[in-house]
Amino acid sequence: MNRNQPSKSSVASQILIAGSVIWSLLGGGLQILANLQLLVPLLTYFQPLPVLGFGRLVPASSFLLTYGWIGSGLLGVLMILVPRFSAIPFRHGRLLSFGAIAWQLAVLTGFTQILMSGSSGLLSLPFSRSVTLIFFVSFLVLGTGITRGLGGTWKSGPLLPRLYLLGGILAFPLGLGTAELLLRSGTAPGAVQIITQLVWHSFVHHLWLAPMALVLIFQLFPTLTGRAVSSMPLGILAWGLLLTAGGWATNSLASQGPVPSWLQSTGVVASVLLFVAALGNTVLFQPLVEGRMDEIRRNVALRFLTLGSWSYVASYAWMMFLSLPGVRQNTAFTVAWNANQSLFLFSFLGSILAGSIYALLPVIKNLGWPSHSSLLWHFWCTALGTAMTFVGYALAGVLQGLALNDPGVPFSTVASYLRPFLVVILIGQALWLVGQLAFSSLFFATLLKLFPFTAPMAVFPSSRPQDTNLAQAQH
Amino acid sequence: MKPTRALALVLLALLFSWVGQVALGYFQVGKLEPVINEDTNLPNPPTPSGFAQTGARIFASEGCIECHSLSVRGPAGSADLTRGWGPRRSVPRDYLFREPALIGFSRIGPDLSDIGERMKESNDLMTHLLNPRKLKPTSTCPPHPWLFDLKLAGHKPENDAMPVTTQDWKQLVPSYKAKALVAYLQSLNLGYPLPEAPLK
Repeated sequence: MNRNQPSKSSVASQILIAGSVIWSLLGGGLQILANLQLLVPLLTYFQPLPVLGFGRLVPASSFLLTYGWIGSGLLGVLMILVPRFSAIPFRHGRLLSFGAIAWQLAVLTGFTQILMSGSSGLLSLPFSRSVTLIFFVSFLVLGTGITRGLGGTWKSGPLLPRLYLLGGILAFPLGLGTAELLLRSGTAPGAVQIITQLVWHSFVHHLWLAPMALVLIFQLFPTLTGRAVSSMPLGILAWGLLLTAGGWATNSLASQGPVPSWLQSTGVVASVLLFVAALGNTVLFQPLVEGRMDEIRRNVALRFLTLGSWSYVASYAWMMFLSLPGVRQNTAFTVAWNANQSLFLFSFLGSILAGSIYALLPVIKNLGWPSHSSLLWHFWCTALGTAMTFVGYALAGVLQGLALNDPGVPFSTVASYLRPFLVVILIGQALWLVGQLAFSSLFFATLLKLFPFTAPMAVFPSSRPQDTNLAQAQH
Repeated sequence: MKPTRALALVLLALLFSWVGQVALGYFQVGKLEPVINEDTNLPNPPTPSGFAQTGARIFASEGCIECHSLSVRGPAGSADLTRGWGPRRSVPRDYLFREPALIGFSRIGPDLSDIGERMKESNDLMTHLLNPRKLKPTSTCPPHPWLFDLKLAGHKPENDAMPVTTQDWKQLVPSYKAKALVAYLQSLNLGYPLPEAPLK
């Protein structure tokens, strides 16, 4: 397959990525609106509408960012990447487009349902059974398309991206199906429902989204830098650790209560193991970018991927820190866990997604980006915004936890402690949204060919001798 | 590594996560049964009414769980009991009849595991839903006026009409949803002893 040849999946991947960009703006906007209500509670008294209630905005924005922005976006870039690294083109382009549209329909239906009728209250499963069904149908089409030919070309390319792809692609349907059966068919009684929610939350973050992002890291880093991953056994060990411990990590969110204490302890162990896996992976991709600062500065795709890979290890380090028994009893039930979301979702997954779009979209459109300097605006706004959000949530969470555990501090005072940090968080989230707006305008301008392209950044231009060397190095 | 071996390992790891947690968890906490109180001959935890069960769904759909937890911790390393959020810690048996079973992971508002005991008057809970700042001026809880219906008052207001000033001879009456939600909140209490969590 000619690596620059437009594939039949290009319409599907464009639908998925365009949807992802739109959902990110909507999700980010709703998130700001929710936090604004927390900062100025009187705002909710002016025009109280159920669709603008805090209790609906929070699950709606979280759903949009997870399933709409990151989920849809990662599936979109994988649809560009996989046929190229497996060298097997997709067939049935219309079917794939149908799958991509169905995914957007599921996100739209879920989002509308949460805003209009409210969330189900279940962790990472705030939507109704009908939305689950649409997700299933869509994923059946997209997942089959993405993994098609993976077995046949298993030995002809780098192993690690394939291993992570296999994990991520299987975790979503198996996890969603099991969670749906246990939670909404009356199979899981009482406290078992809570355990099930925690397992499903782990599946979404550590066994579905994180592996899909790692596919991109392990495929794009070597391609962009021209260096190969040094130690396969270490990579396989990290993969094994992630898959084994990934489903257990969220148990550390619970503090006493209905979750058995041994499960909470396994959550701590899983968090440590996931951090070890992240460290192992960092040892693998750090040499790929070492001494390449000039290139990282110049190439915005590489810049985002580097930020994302460092955020990957930082987010697992923060999660491990919060899981430690002495820390957990202080930070449980606080916004310190939102700091983890900032690092994991926005900095790790968001940066990997942005870097991948910058690197891969020109491949299917056979074009570049309008201007290099405007791309940097996207980088700095989102990076600074996420950093501010993380710092705000982290400090607020620690302070909130200490105050909550001090019976001498009245509860109303605890809430007031959050205010100054909420200002920082809101500024950070607004900055991120500005960056994302800059990106979306660039993205749609590129798709619609509104500007001359001055910064071409295709990853697989066959004319580049460097890439040919790289392909040889990988194989 | 062969693709079949990789596939088997992935499936095994995913299975390990579900079986290890849910199946073992089921054997530990899924088979719990209510304890019969010898004095009253009633089960603990008490079986909630169908109306309260409906209220539990409204509690979930209104997103109350985004700010309120439903899990009181013991005295070791937490001030939950000292804050008066419950007479004892929450244990798995407390969640036997909860549908959906939720614990919440945020405490922007106080824990509600024992709110039925702390706010016994349904009028207080209704007032809180309509205007949280009326009872507590510093409350950050948003109002939920959409859970109330504006009706013509006629000669005299209905018995459950809210004591608020309205225009044009109208009255504000709690809707079915508001009543169900209040019934659910009133059903939340930890004031019964369990073998694994006796009262103080």
